[in-house]
Amino acid sequence: MGKRYAMVIDLRKCVGCHACQVACKSENNVPLGVFRNWVDELETGKFPTVSRQRLPRLCNHCKNPSCLNVCPVKATYQLEDGTVLIDYDRCIGCKYCIAACPYDARFINPVRKTAEKCTYCHERLEAGLQPACVNTCISGARVFGDLNDPTSEVFKLVATQPVNVSKPETNNRPQTYYIGADDKALRPNLLNIVGGEK
Amino acid sequence: MTTVHLFNTNHEIYWGLLIAVYFYYTGMSAGSFILTSLGTVFGIEKYKKVSKVGVLMAIVLLLFAPLHLLFDLEQPSRALNLFLHVNPSSAMSWGVYLLVLYPICLLIYAWYMFRQDFVNNMNGSGFKAGLYRFLLFGKTDMSAAAKENDKKKSKFFGTLGVPLALAVHGYTGFILGNVQARAIWHTPLMPIIFLMSAMVSGTGLFIIVLLLVEKFKFGKVSDDIKSLIPDIANLMKWFIVIDGALMIIYFIVLWYSSEAGYAAAYYLLHGDAWSFLGLENGLGMLLPLLILLSKKARQSIPAVVVASVLTIIGVLAMRINLVIGGQELPLTGSKMLEYVVSGHDLTIVIGLAVATTVVLSFLYAVLPMNRPGAQVKLTSQATKGVAQ
Repeated sequence: MGKRYAMVIDLRKCVGCHACQVACKSENNVPLGVFRNWVDELETGKFPTVSRQRLPRLCNHCKNPSCLNVCPVKATYQLEDGTVLIDYDRCIGCKYCIAACPYDARFINPVRKTAEKCTYCHERLEAGLQPACVNTCISGARVFGDLNDPTSEVFKLVATQPVNVSKPETNNRPQTYYIGADDKALRPNLLNIVGGEK
Repeated sequence: MTTVHLFNTNHEIYWGLLIAVYFYYTGMSAGSFILTSLGTVFGIEKYKKVSKVGVLMAIVLLLFAPLHLLFDLEQPSRALNLFLHVNPSSAMSWGVYLLVLYPICLLIYAWYMFRQDFVNNMNGSGFKAGLYRFLLFGKTDMSAAAKENDKKKSKFFGTLGVPLALAVHGYTGFILGNVQARAIWHTPLMPIIFLMSAMVSGTGLFIIVLLLVEKFKFGKVSDDIKSLIPDIANLMKWFIVIDGALMIIYFIVLWYSSEAGYAAAYYLLHGDAWSFLGLENGLGMLLPLLILLSKKARQSIPAVVVASVLTIIGVLAMRINLVIGGQELPLTGSKMLEYVVSGHDLTIVIGLAVATTVVLSFLYAVLPMNRPGAQVKLTSQATKGVAQ
């Protein structure tokens, strides 16, 4: 079996320092105002009974990516190891992938004028390094590796820990596994936003 | 339990007015073509006299529709990639071919429909005669066999045009319907809803264009057109009934679907009420339906024109509510996304609308729009022109 890259984010260890967000920007030269990787910070409950949560977000490199299915020019493609990449020279900027991604992972790079998103720092992987966000994480909350390798850290965590993914009801089969993520954080509380809560 | 996002990145609505208006144009093109193909293709004699008006409208609307998309691309110079790299799983990729085949089919259909009139009017030295001679490409044969061939070919390409028209607008329904991330779009009804609202707005615009062509080309609305308007209005009534029924079915199922679906339905009723209930369904659907239910109103041209204008506005609101409204509900984070139309987009929409009107008016002005039943009128007009 070939490689299947995945990321595990252990929220019990995340301190909310946003270093991953900064490292990603710096590594990938991401322009101002847009993010490949960002940390959502939320507060649930009502003072004084509240909890603070952090949710680092990035492209889920889904097994069945919506963005790949809808791209009219096949600019989005998937490697054998599961990494979903974009051919920046082919992308026409129709933005269908952005509309179709359930995770808001994509955006238009205002400088390059094409769709863009996390690549798992593909060039770093090729050089035998870890993605910049994993490399910089001060608490080891981010773990990256091959989910098909039973000796890898991601395999052990996914096998032994209670993990969940964002919006499992979609047929995207996302490959970012969270440990200790509240479902309230993984999806927008739409009834709260539009009203309609009974 | 409330959740407050203290920090989150901003996400934009990337598909804006240009995309909604594109759907609107292809819809009206397909609608007006299918309506006017009733004569040539389905042999309903009385619609034959309006086929020419309808086909020109369908062609011009469809030639301008994709320009909205081109202006919306971040990399318009790479549009050719759409033809070089095909992705069968992308509805947008299907559309690329439909958007080429459909106007070509319509152009051939129109050519066979206009050919004999070109031949009849090609002798002369004016601009029109020269244009007709050019457009004939040397095919000036007026034998009985050639005429029969015209009839056969126009019927063939017209018949081919009907499924293409259905596909060219149906595919846009798939563009939204295939997106499972957004509950408001993700319904199998989407292509049919798009088609029916296309029939409504296509018929509405067609009635107005037909009356304008009659008025400016022939001086007045002749009796045979006057007697046809109630028939078209009656058809439009039924299109609205079906479209309305589909909207109701869509809405009920959305209300009882997932949390995201229910939230979307709730948003349509509350947050987006003035546009969804007021503009799209009240002013744009219920009111014209009430007007057209009365037989007396269907026979009155002003009443039919009012109903037509209302449907045109209503369907535009429907396209905007679906395309832009569908993206206002967030996929992550805790606040609604806001859409503000950019000056760039608005300029292009207005510019293309003006260009469409100019090109369409030019074609109606220079092409021979005579029709069965109006021949006499045209010749008298022509002799008057010569006398002057």
